[in-house]
Amino acid sequence: MAKAFTHGTADVKKQPGFAVIAAICIAVLYLPLMIIATYSFNAASNIGAAWKGFTIDWYASALQNREFYDAAILSIGLAFAAMVISTVLATAAALGTTRGKRWRGQTAAFVTLTTPLVIPEIVTGISLLAFFAAVAALIDINFGLGKLLIAHVTFCIPFAYLPIKARLEGMDETLENAAADLYATRWQTFRYVTLPLVVPGISSGAALAFIVSFDDFTITQLIAGPGETTLPLYIYTRIRRALTPEINAMCTLLLMISFIFIILSFAISKRRSQ
Amino acid sequence: MTEFQSSATSGSAVDMLGIVKDFDTFRAVDDVTLKIQPNEFFTLLGPSGCGKTTLLRLMAGFETPTTGSILLGTKDISRLPPNHRPINTVFQSYALFPHMTVAENIGFGLKMLGRSRSEIKVTVDEMLRLVRLEGRGDSLVTRLSGGQQQRVALARGLAPRPQILLLDEPLSALDLKLRQSMQIELKRLQAETGITFVFVTHDQEEALTMSDRIAVMNAGKVLQVGSSRDIYEHPADRFVAGFIGETNFLQGDLEAVDGMSGTVRLKNGVRVSAGLSEEAPRHGAITIVIRPEHIEITDVGAAGSIAATVATVVYFGTDTHIHTHLADGTPVIIRQQNRRDGSRAPQTNALIGLVLPLGASQVLRD
Amino acid sequence: MATDVDIAEAQLSHKRWLTAPALLCITLFGMVPLITVMSYSLMQPSEYGGVVPKFSPDAYISLLFQRDVFDDALTFSPDYLIIFARTVAFGAATTLLCLLIGFPTAYFMATRSPDTRNRWVLLITIPFWSNLLVRTIAIMFIIRDEGLINMIMLSLDLINAPVGIIFTDFAIVLGLIYSFLPFMILPIYAALEKVDFRLAEAGFDLYASRFQVLWRIIIPLAMPGIITGCVLVFIPTFGAYVTPLLLGGGRHMMIGDLIALQFGSSRNWPLGSAFATVLMGFVLLALYIQARKAMGVSHG
Repeated sequence: MAKAFTHGTADVKKQPGFAVIAAICIAVLYLPLMIIATYSFNAASNIGAAWKGFTIDWYASALQNREFYDAAILSIGLAFAAMVISTVLATAAALGTTRGKRWRGQTAAFVTLTTPLVIPEIVTGISLLAFFAAVAALIDINFGLGKLLIAHVTFCIPFAYLPIKARLEGMDETLENAAADLYATRWQTFRYVTLPLVVPGISSGAALAFIVSFDDFTITQLIAGPGETTLPLYIYTRIRRALTPEINAMCTLLLMISFIFIILSFAISKRRSQ
Repeated sequence: MTEFQSSATSGSAVDMLGIVKDFDTFRAVDDVTLKIQPNEFFTLLGPSGCGKTTLLRLMAGFETPTTGSILLGTKDISRLPPNHRPINTVFQSYALFPHMTVAENIGFGLKMLGRSRSEIKVTVDEMLRLVRLEGRGDSLVTRLSGGQQQRVALARGLAPRPQILLLDEPLSALDLKLRQSMQIELKRLQAETGITFVFVTHDQEEALTMSDRIAVMNAGKVLQVGSSRDIYEHPADRFVAGFIGETNFLQGDLEAVDGMSGTVRLKNGVRVSAGLSEEAPRHGAITIVIRPEHIEITDVGAAGSIAATVATVVYFGTDTHIHTHLADGTPVIIRQQNRRDGSRAPQTNALIGLVLPLGASQVLRD
Repeated sequence: MATDVDIAEAQLSHKRWLTAPALLCITLFGMVPLITVMSYSLMQPSEYGGVVPKFSPDAYISLLFQRDVFDDALTFSPDYLIIFARTVAFGAATTLLCLLIGFPTAYFMATRSPDTRNRWVLLITIPFWSNLLVRTIAIMFIIRDEGLINMIMLSLDLINAPVGIIFTDFAIVLGLIYSFLPFMILPIYAALEKVDFRLAEAGFDLYASRFQVLWRIIIPLAMPGIITGCVLVFIPTFGAYVTPLLLGGGRHMMIGDLIALQFGSSRNWPLGSAFATVLMGFVLLALYIQARKAMGVSHG
């Protein structure tokens, strides 16, 4: 022990081997993704084959694939709609559970808003399956894509809600008092003070809602009707058939879209967090 | 529904009548009645938790009184929301809008009042000049120093020309030098604008320097209202005397009363003459208060003096504090100004005589 | 005039109203479906999927027993119990291994400079939010018989024939660790970041060794984060569906697959609902333990 302290200042925080484990950890998390991305550029037509040279043919063929294209459009459209609706609902809810005096039942409201986070996806999936079947049996409605939208909005709400709530809680309530003191009505206070200051939280929450909806596989698979194939569902049906290099390209594209939104969300929430 | 009440004292800027504010079981403000005069620099002074900030928030409209009413002129404003009161606040944390420039902050109130863009610009420029921030209108408030933010907060509160400006410990975040110059600045602003300032502080020195009148508060009650001199030299009770400056308390019996003064026989038999306020008791065992700088030192055994033993002598530059105790153990502090001739301060353990000059001591209210 | 009302009261009703749409959405499409499924677990299966609304405890009985087709006699059948036990074992193994890798990583992150810390958080966050299906496919790609690992080992002549990694218990646990490791790291990191490391100095000053400082000072302070991390890994592992589906190849089922199977080709909704109810029971138990422990630690 004394030996460790002989050179310069003692680093009391250092624990032997922890840096190595951290490095292994990052490797474990990233290597598979990097390998799949690298192989999406491999010219070999067999997926397990050795490196045969660089090509972007697999991307070209993925993007020209009509089914892939349709699935991507559906996924993006669905994620966008779910993002907008869930963010609006979550923003209102966050305003209701943070500012001013606490109200009776506020804790219960908070627990309810975050329950979708602790229910395993498979349970949510079969619950919605059973629920929509029961509703369809009672009244003759064809929900169509509405089913997917309702499901996605519901499980996106807590993901949008939490960053907005955190932002509002970090915001000095005196600012709103100051606005009211300077003759702003409740709406003007919201419009000129609260909203501009909470925008980073809202953007961050919206980005998360988008990713969560865009990436969802389990719940969507259980409730999607025929023809309602999202991108993850399409990729799943493809790997059931055969693993081809084209799938590597598709997976890489899917990851790229997620990455963009994650980094966006991260950057927004870190920026100007006063 | 706006209630109008006729008031005999329609000359006041703010009339608070029997204000009580309860938070659950805690009574923050306990039956406060106060009249604040127009164009006055009025200070609410008291320790933290005494209810002074709650009183300010009641005036601003962030709280509604449990009972009692607040009149602005003759109009009852106690249940109006903050944006309907011609009263502005300078917050302790300044509460500047971080996403706006200095000019946008200052012009916010006028914008909300629906004033024209040109009028806002003129007023903002005037305010920037008033608080000596010319040319900084386009800066982001987050880029300003603490003192500059303070000025912006003041300008923002003054820009809509409110009838009352409330200041909630606005100087507490500044360092000593800056605080002293801001004290003078605040006095100037108040005089130039003619707006009534209601200032909240726990710093007695700040209160004494700046205020026209001070209300000393403790435990939700107003204990004394008066000018700085009144409060310092004629404290009404033990709390006020102890809270404002250093002071000595001596026990005795009130033997004779003659108008506004009385003869007090101290425990050791020495008789002194002490001032009597209207609320002070007229007989029996009482406490008198005397400021350390008012006590004179003489030789032990001199006529009319009280014998005391010197415990510690502390040199303070401008003056020297002499800690002594009387025969019965009562501590007494004496403050002597240091002169150039180096008049000798008593030595530790020396026996000295203390003289309480006529009118320097005061009988306290129970 | 609308202004002459009690301000606080007005704000409160206003606030309640704001939460209503989100609450309604989650109640109607989150809670009601869950209750529906729980009630289905006490009904009889319909032939074409769905339920016959008649009370029957059969779903729960068949969790442990098999009913003889001819004489209705119940015989003990451990098939489902084994799947439950496997799920618990996989969950526990995954949680433990994630903790062993995650704690040192979180510790390493928390002891960096603030800028470096932010970069590490981003590094861990990216896989956290990345597509689970794609990540599982990536693992599959590496460990399958024609995958990268076997290919490299074959070309290095370390083995003669591909080692079967995929479709084993090991593959599933590996996939689960890979999927849920960030869930362990981030809460532990959040707890460690708040730890005042001058306490470690105080520990060394009082003759503690590096390990003693870690074990007796740092770990107790990080305990709320460790518990949260364990719960956050255990809950999704317990309900895992995609990972065993792809890496277990249908031979090594977990509860998640079993539930999906009952609602899919087996068409026994009450049984699937019973599994789901039991699963939710475990989840609530884990959350309850976490709430208790986290509170106990922060008050201790």
